[in-house]
Amino acid sequence: MATNYYLPEDSAPLPPKHAEVLTTACDYCIVACGYKVYRWPVGSGDGGPKAAENAFGKDFPTSALQEWVAPAQHNVVMHGGRPHNVIVIPDKDTQAVNKTGDSSMRGGLLAAKCYNPKTPTRDRLTNPMVRINGTLQPVSWNFALDIAAEVGRYVIKNHGANAYSVKTFSYQYLENTYAIKKYARRNVNTASFTFHDTPSDVTSTPGFRDAGFDNFGPSYDDWGGADVLQIHGTDPYETKTIIYTQFIKPAIERGMKTIWLNPRETAGIAYAKSKGSDQTIHFQLTIGTDTVLMGAIARVICENGWEDKDWVNNWVNSKWETSSGFGQGTRNTPWQWRTTWGMFQLKGGYKGYSKWVQSKDEYKVENAAKICDVPAADIIKAAEWLTNKGQGTKASFGIEKGYYWSNNTGNTNAVSSLATICGAGGRPGQVVGRFGGHQRGGAGGGSYPRNKSPEKRPGRRRRALDTDRYLVSGHTRFAHVIGTTWIQAMTGSQSLYTKFHELVLANPNQVTSYDKSEIIETLKRRADSGGMVVINQDIYLRDPIGARFADVIFPASTWGEEDFTRSNGERRLRIYNKFYDAPGQAKPDWWIIGGLASRMGYEGFDWKNANEVCEESSRSSRGNRKAYHMIKVAAHREGKTLHEKMREFGTTGIQGPTVYNYKTGELHGTKRLHDTTLTEADMERMGVTQGANMTNKKMTHFNSQTGKVNIQKHPWKLFADFHEWLSPKGDELWFSNGRINEIWQSGFDDVERRPYVTQRWPENWVEIHPDDAKARGIESGDQVMLYSDRVVEHKDTILGVHGDDFQFSTLMKNGHLKLTKAAVTAVAIVAPHLKKGMMYGNMLDMRQPNNALQNRVVDQISGNYNYKMGVAKVKKIGESKYKKEFRSMSWAPRNVI
Amino acid sequence: MSDTVKKKREDQTAGEHGKCMLNRRQFLMYSGATAATASTVSITLFPGTAKAEQAKARVVGYPRKLVGKLSEMKDNVPVTINYPDDGKNSVATMVKTGVKCGGGVGSGRDLVAFSALCTHQGGPMLGRYRVVDEHRIMGSCPLHLSTYDVTRHGIIISGQAYESLPQVLLELDGDDIYAVGMMGLIYGRNQNLMES
Repeated sequence: MATNYYLPEDSAPLPPKHAEVLTTACDYCIVACGYKVYRWPVGSGDGGPKAAENAFGKDFPTSALQEWVAPAQHNVVMHGGRPHNVIVIPDKDTQAVNKTGDSSMRGGLLAAKCYNPKTPTRDRLTNPMVRINGTLQPVSWNFALDIAAEVGRYVIKNHGANAYSVKTFSYQYLENTYAIKKYARRNVNTASFTFHDTPSDVTSTPGFRDAGFDNFGPSYDDWGGADVLQIHGTDPYETKTIIYTQFIKPAIERGMKTIWLNPRETAGIAYAKSKGSDQTIHFQLTIGTDTVLMGAIARVICENGWEDKDWVNNWVNSKWETSSGFGQGTRNTPWQWRTTWGMFQLKGGYKGYSKWVQSKDEYKVENAAKICDVPAADIIKAAEWLTNKGQGTKASFGIEKGYYWSNNTGNTNAVSSLATICGAGGRPGQVVGRFGGHQRGGAGGGSYPRNKSPEKRPGRRRRALDTDRYLVSGHTRFAHVIGTTWIQAMTGSQSLYTKFHELVLANPNQVTSYDKSEIIETLKRRADSGGMVVINQDIYLRDPIGARFADVIFPASTWGEEDFTRSNGERRLRIYNKFYDAPGQAKPDWWIIGGLASRMGYEGFDWKNANEVCEESSRSSRGNRKAYHMIKVAAHREGKTLHEKMREFGTTGIQGPTVYNYKTGELHGTKRLHDTTLTEADMERMGVTQGANMTNKKMTHFNSQTGKVNIQKHPWKLFADFHEWLSPKGDELWFSNGRINEIWQSGFDDVERRPYVTQRWPENWVEIHPDDAKARGIESGDQVMLYSDRVVEHKDTILGVHGDDFQFSTLMKNGHLKLTKAAVTAVAIVAPHLKKGMMYGNMLDMRQPNNALQNRVVDQISGNYNYKMGVAKVKKIGESKYKKEFRSMSWAPRNVI
Repeated sequence: MSDTVKKKREDQTAGEHGKCMLNRRQFLMYSGATAATASTVSITLFPGTAKAEQAKARVVGYPRKLVGKLSEMKDNVPVTINYPDDGKNSVATMVKTGVKCGGGVGSGRDLVAFSALCTHQGGPMLGRYRVVDEHRIMGSCPLHLSTYDVTRHGIIISGQAYESLPQVLLELDGDDIYAVGMMGLIYGRNQNLMES
């Protein structure tokens, strides 16, 4: 029914025998489960309940775990201009990831994502638009592209390439990201370039980079192959569901111990805890104190001599190795550009670390227990479990955003060092990595021009340009925004909005003409007068970036509407087949970029189809974690295209880096990176040394100057002053945010457009501990105001000169930060599964972004935001309608097993 | 007999149900707790559309099946019933929750019934009814841990399922409890009413 209300239906069509079957993978979270699409023309007859009558070959009713079609898994789309039924269900035959056809709620509802004007997808962008007299009006592609290209070229010529800022998704398919980077980095060559989740193009996990760990080295089997798994800042059940249900949960059932760092308890943690305290430790620690807890666990291990001695002897850089390599030592790592290596470098290998960690008072068990607000006995127990008291065990360490977006550098340094002394990093079931957020769809199309960035930490080296501070400083004259909200996705959202408003709408140069050259002249004058022009590529009109600020809108086509390729969190590459027509005039982002680039005079953008882009991009993947170049080599030798070859792999795909054996004609995937158990014979069998194959040290060693791990200090003092300043004062509570299972990496099209998701989570919400709620007279279902006048933000783009210039207290003292006010409303949920003294909200409700209350101060080393730790006051402002009705939302706790 | 009581009785008779099944469905989904104690108020959301006719024709076919006695139901002690037939995947859980529920019948509006198959992958939900403070929860599913809110038409609380747990519509005729319809598709079926 054409309604945003969820009306449970009591039948669903079955695909008939004559349905075509295509494979794809889920569009959303990192796990990327395999799916099948059944497609047949409307009116050609549906399948029947007998095995002989349907495409599944199954008699209905089916049994648990067999094929079934939920009503929401059916849709009607246009294919080749004619209406077709489609059913999108998890692939029951897949050999990888979601074996047995497991699926999340997000993936389960993929069919509802397809454009169908009878459903809440009807507001898809279908036409290029230009804002004339304040209204976005449909125009032709030529009209829109001519304006954008002409104004863009003018800005670059007259204000410099850095005045042309590109803010883009990093993940929405290899073909698109390749085209975008080739355009923005190689041709526009702007340093004002970054991705959807960070103000500057920097590593998300600085500690991993410096240690030598790839973020996505482990295979999913490794997460279930450990004896002890320590999980930091996430519940994988909530945020990479199928890793939990297919790999971690079965391992817990086999007896795997788990250690959790998470102030909140959701179903995955509750399930682990149901196995008892002999198998599970749950640290409900104070927000932002993870580094201290990790230091304390490491200290207990060092004090007792429980470290994995063989591992640290063989795989940790010694005093000399730490400084080795072309006479520059660790300056070959990204430490080089940070010029901060003295803060982290340990010259004595493991012994140096042991000495250092034991010299720090905050890492004494009793002190750490106090700072982190966790039981001291659990710290000792964790140290015992992770090392089996020095007797050896298989420990693995997985992190995610609650951890690395709290104290970005310190936390990632700390986990790298703790994991290393426990022998984790490069063996089956003994791994270190991220569980992952979005899928990995980034392809290299040009390198980032760091030398053009004006940003610099104290010392010599440059850091990537912070696009938010640069914009706030008024340097950005042209904002090219691709598939992200920019404003809501960044911290301090409300003051960022105010600046956008000032630069775009408050500027007197607004388009009032229908004439193309007059429009172009107006927009040029805006840029010249210190204002900003905004162009936006997306699938829906986003408010405010598209709806209020964009001068030109380009409608993009997406998942299912074009052949795309991408990899998941274990580097598994799959093709996502096109199975229906894109709405209206929507075009893939690579095509839009091609149109812009060609008009700006850049060469090599005249691709005819997605496969051409993918084939051109493959060379840039050589040596990286999802290298797919050899798939193209194999394909061409077999007379196929790269996409055709990918199609043969179906939902199983192939794990990068890929290796081709020219002699046997076989393509090999790579199960895990840093695999120290891989032998020369294995490599020979794969054909690593033949032809165009290219591997580097990450295959069998670590990404460091020697191939061994750099063990690092993780100084708490770099962060402690900020933590102390931020900690709740008076009536304030900690205010964190994150994902929930039902909306996860899918908010860009399901919250508003899937009746079932809309019904479950219709509005912004906040969880409050029962004691904190009671003290404020708040009950579940009340409408509350979350507010703060302590949202701290950078005033300007600044250069670091003296050693501690970027330390929070120094920035504050020197007047580089300011306090701003922000507020968002939400529906309260009283949640006993939270730590007392904290609140938890949705990571991104586009209408009321909780990021508004998170501080716009970057990690002083990496340049990332610490999104997960703000503070706010909360008060009741009324009752929501959900308090008394039964249709929508739920106040039940999320940790019931 | 006051008008209110009379209306309530009428609302809970089989004849009334068969006549306005669609309205009952809408009533269940769109009424608030305050309205729930009231009446036969029919809310027509999509009047006069072909869709409405079609839906009505389908739901009318549900059998009216005696599934228990109200006097034998104890608070928070679930019983197993079969609906809409005794065939495969018809197993359901009926429970008197002691708290007001969406679609609940009885003086406390607390008697409800739901399919006992998880809508994610058909996991068995018998014996998975939980009372946690004022909350009434079905789950977690032993397969993948989905939980459903019994007070809110079986909406997902946390987990994997992409449909609510199908709710068996109940009505009372004196002490007799009748199952008279179903909201949502039962796992494993392509339609709730299948030929045996």
